[in-house]
Amino acid sequence: MLRLENVGLRYGDGPEILRDVSFAVHAGDFYFLTGPSGAGKSSLLKLLFLALRPTRGSLHIFGENVGTLSHSKLPPIRHRIGVVFQEFRLLDHLSTYDNVALPLRIAGKSESSYRRDVLDLLDWVGLSHKASSLPPVLSGGEKQRAAIARAVIAKPQLLLADEPTGNVDPVLAKRLLHLFLELNRLGTTMLIATHDKGLIRQAERPVLHLEEGVLTLQ
Amino acid sequence: MKPGSIIPSSASSLTSLTVTMTVMSYLACLAIGALILVDRAVASWTSGLAREMTVQLRVVRDIDIETQLGKAQAILSGFPGILQAEILDQGESIRLLEPWLGTRSLEGLPVPRLIRVITDTANPPDVAALETALSAVKGARLDTHRKWEAELTRMARALTVLSYSILMLISASAIAIVIFATRAVLQANRHIVDLLHLIGARDRYIARQIDGRFLRTGMLSGFMGVGMGLLTFLLLGLFGGGSESGVAAASRSLLFSAPEIALWSYGVLLTVPIAATLICLVTARVTLMRRLGVVT
Repeated sequence: MLRLENVGLRYGDGPEILRDVSFAVHAGDFYFLTGPSGAGKSSLLKLLFLALRPTRGSLHIFGENVGTLSHSKLPPIRHRIGVVFQEFRLLDHLSTYDNVALPLRIAGKSESSYRRDVLDLLDWVGLSHKASSLPPVLSGGEKQRAAIARAVIAKPQLLLADEPTGNVDPVLAKRLLHLFLELNRLGTTMLIATHDKGLIRQAERPVLHLEEGVLTLQ
Repeated sequence: MKPGSIIPSSASSLTSLTVTMTVMSYLACLAIGALILVDRAVASWTSGLAREMTVQLRVVRDIDIETQLGKAQAILSGFPGILQAEILDQGESIRLLEPWLGTRSLEGLPVPRLIRVITDTANPPDVAALETALSAVKGARLDTHRKWEAELTRMARALTVLSYSILMLISASAIAIVIFATRAVLQANRHIVDLLHLIGARDRYIARQIDGRFLRTGMLSGFMGVGMGLLTFLLLGLFGGGSESGVAAASRSLLFSAPEIALWSYGVLLTVPIAATLICLVTARVTLMRRLGVVT
């Protein structure tokens, strides 16, 4: 599903943020990605959700070499990837309901076809009472949950999450972990970047450690 | 529950574009109005000139001009394609010279005499044969107004080229303005566009979220510009001077001529909102697709 071979990444003429990163993730895998701040976790995730392209090496996602793929070929791949952004990236002028429904709307589905699913998911993440609220009035934890709901609503094959439990209390963090495990059990491949050692211990899944741009499997 | 607009209209108001496009449409409306009036005036002048000819008789020493006038009139009256040949008396000939020579008495001067000739436009006379026939009359010269007709046609052509050039400049300016406005909208909504890309939206989908507003802006400003243009022609027609005023008469003829001509004028002016809408929609779509294509 994911294959990186000697991937390097640098911004402009700056130093390499990622150096010779090589690893493979197969369908159904569940990995955590850890490392100190500034190690390049977010940059690696940006490569994987196709916001950046590697400056060297090869990156294959769903069998496609995305490093050389044209811009017009990217949307079908992105449709199969769910992303929880560290900074949430909710659209402030849309309600929580509309934010969560966005991937389905972009996929061309009608509102009547997805209404039930979106409301159920909002209920599940504890945001049903905030369905019509705008993001600026949500707390950090509520924004986090809305962002997670948006990432999973279209049932992606690969879920990439950048600190998905960073703004929630331990009870909700545990609940979200169960959601991720359940999604993984249903076939979604997971890669979760986190500092939360408790979360990693509870899940008992393999950990990729990134330090000074070099990735190792722990 | 009706989904909200993905690109918020408040984040990137198109008010400035609406105002600018309205002014552009107004100027285009005036240019097209001028084009129609020039076309119509030239058609009217040239048809008048084609209907009339003049025979001029110079005074020749020892030759009785009245006899020559009678002879010329006889030739003209019997010539195929000529409906009427009317001799202007000396007083009328002198009055025609007043704009150049003033009102002082010209009684003693050898003022040329004129014969106004009305031709059959459906069956015009053979000018060369007529000139040959008139060569029998001493001092006679046929003036077919061809020189004036050529001058008018040249002037009309210059005005037409000028009007088309103005229309092209207006269109080019409008396209440039729409390109800038589209880039501004994209820039103002960059975070939304980036997110839409990352969750799998195609460029076409994102462009559709934006270019609908450009379509509405083009249509609205096009109709407002034409409305202002028609109001200008109406005001010029009503208050642009008396019946002798060329501008007032031209404006009135544009709006209130025979129904088929007026309808044609309105139809031509209707191309302005259509062009404004197309310029806004197509330019915005092309700009969006080009700009979105270079974003990751």
